[in-house]
Amino acid sequence: MTELLTDGLGVSRRTFLESLGGMGGSALLLGGMAALGFGIASAQAGPPDLGSGGAGKKVVILGAGVAGMTAAYELSKAGYEVTLLEARSFAGGRCQTARKGFKLTELGGETETCDFDDGLYINHGPWRIPYHHRSTLHYANKFNVPLEIFVNDNDASYVVFDKGTGPLAGKPIRKGQIAADARGSAAEILAKSVKQGALDQQMTAEDRELFKAYLVHEGFLDKDLAYKGTEGRGWAIEPGAGVNPGPGKESVPYPLADVLHSHAWATLGSVTSYDQQKTMFQPVGGMDRIAKGFEGAIGGLIKYNTVVKTFRQDPKGVTITYVDGDGKPGTLKADYCICTIPLSVLRQLDFGVSPKFKAAISDVSYAPVGKIGLQMKRRFWEEDDHIYGGHIYTDNPDIGSMSLPSTGWMSQKGVILGYYQFGSNAAKVSALSYAERRALAAAAGEKAFPGRFASNVETSFASAWHLIEHNLGGWAQWSDDGRATSYPLLCEPDGRLYLAGEHLSYLGGWQAGGIESAWQQIAKLHARVHAA
Amino acid sequence: MRLFLLAVAAATLVAGPSLAADGEHMFLQSCAACHKPTGLGVPGAFPALAGDKFVMGDPKDPIGRVLNGRGGMPSFANDLSDADIATILTYVRSAWGNKAKPVTTPMVTALRTGGNRENAKAQLQAH
Repeated sequence: MTELLTDGLGVSRRTFLESLGGMGGSALLLGGMAALGFGIASAQAGPPDLGSGGAGKKVVILGAGVAGMTAAYELSKAGYEVTLLEARSFAGGRCQTARKGFKLTELGGETETCDFDDGLYINHGPWRIPYHHRSTLHYANKFNVPLEIFVNDNDASYVVFDKGTGPLAGKPIRKGQIAADARGSAAEILAKSVKQGALDQQMTAEDRELFKAYLVHEGFLDKDLAYKGTEGRGWAIEPGAGVNPGPGKESVPYPLADVLHSHAWATLGSVTSYDQQKTMFQPVGGMDRIAKGFEGAIGGLIKYNTVVKTFRQDPKGVTITYVDGDGKPGTLKADYCICTIPLSVLRQLDFGVSPKFKAAISDVSYAPVGKIGLQMKRRFWEEDDHIYGGHIYTDNPDIGSMSLPSTGWMSQKGVILGYYQFGSNAAKVSALSYAERRALAAAAGEKAFPGRFASNVETSFASAWHLIEHNLGGWAQWSDDGRATSYPLLCEPDGRLYLAGEHLSYLGGWQAGGIESAWQQIAKLHARVHAA
Repeated sequence: MRLFLLAVAAATLVAGPSLAADGEHMFLQSCAACHKPTGLGVPGAFPALAGDKFVMGDPKDPIGRVLNGRGGMPSFANDLSDADIATILTYVRSAWGNKAKPVTTPMVTALRTGGNRENAKAQLQAH
């Protein structure tokens, strides 16, 4: 970019904008959008049309998470005889909601019972649905699960970055103020550079004027191309009635140097990343409403408390052995098997598959992920800070981000997501007792809401997905090598065994990944049955 | 070169006495949630490190496992420095009755391939 801006490079005015595109600007954007599938939204919007023709064929499905239940729902509709084996006493897999009475025992740890007040909950698994995850929305709609907006971005929310320097470091700063000031100052510098002739050689007069007009609009610049703040960043004194407060008093922007040194700009981007849309949804009452929706439709096919032990297959069919809730062993035979057990768990089971398939199952790692829900005595973030939903951003990797509830507005109490951390930080935090985890989150929250966060914590519910039996991780993490070699192998059946789940999608960790993977696999299975 | 050697000598002097304690501390922080402070793991979920042949074998194997992850284990390539990994593995290879040669930082550096994991982009919000 700097090179392009210097004179003597031989870049003509005509080609300057084109060359920007060539460098990866608009050309990449336009070509890449379609290539990445953005033009067609989350790959599939609806299930494959299987019609009928499954009659007389038996399919056993392992795991009653959203992938397994999707497969069961669609296959049974097409006439297949479906049995679902589920290790837990409830369906949903990771699609869980912790509310009063919900119990969780982490491996090697004590049992934690959620004691939130009635009506309060934390989605410790999936918790938000981007508007373009049409597959997840398809089933929410089908099962009449009421949705509400999940506030995924809020200009009023706080950024608290400790690791920066300068007067803004370590202080709660409104995200919208950082955005206004960073972008306003950047626009001012660019606009003034254009005015001073920095791009005279590279852009036509008409393009320069349009570019300047854009910068004035983008950065709220005045007629002298200066950024002096804007009402959108909030007021020093809010405007109101009469003459006092009357017109109010505008706020003063933070100096660019302070914004830069705070590093708080790291929360900004011209747009959100694709799966972090501003418009997202959550089911009213908890994410497990989605699981309950499936359960209402196909719950009768599920054998609960049934832990799979072995899988064998021959040219005629598959045989599963299991242990049921009473500790009694059992055997199940079917024509085909769809296995949605996470690979972190599956790799330790006795599965009769080809050596290549077996090796591929082990060729992925799973993300340690931790969350904690904190029940607050009062909704101080709404009452005192006027923040309704959205996140509190930190640069403390043991905390990641905190999140304010998008439900129960202006009621007495609420549950805040106190941390959401990954990787080695999640491993580290999960070595703490539940009480220590609560203390960690409470101390971190004090930085954003000094004097009112820790004192309002009533009770908590923490979960570490890598320590949860039958999951052993938050989601699959493929390496580039694994994606190239093992992943495609596992997307194809091994004999009569089909795998499905978020781990076999590029929507990893999202329910849409599980659903769409199931759709793809049952379409393949159905085509095979039809061809036979 | 001479300066480099001096620096190494100084670092060794400073780090030397506390290395085992550092290793234990870092192990308790980053590893013990799954592999447990006893190194015995959780049967059926997380393998025992105590008395384990893989852990005490060719150092390339455990280094590769920590860097790249596998099975249920995540990659720690983005979270731990080469020196941290060396310190932790040296501890693991000598704790709970384990007996194997220390792991050095250059051994880890040599096996680090640049961390191309998708979790490198796991930034502020994930899902």
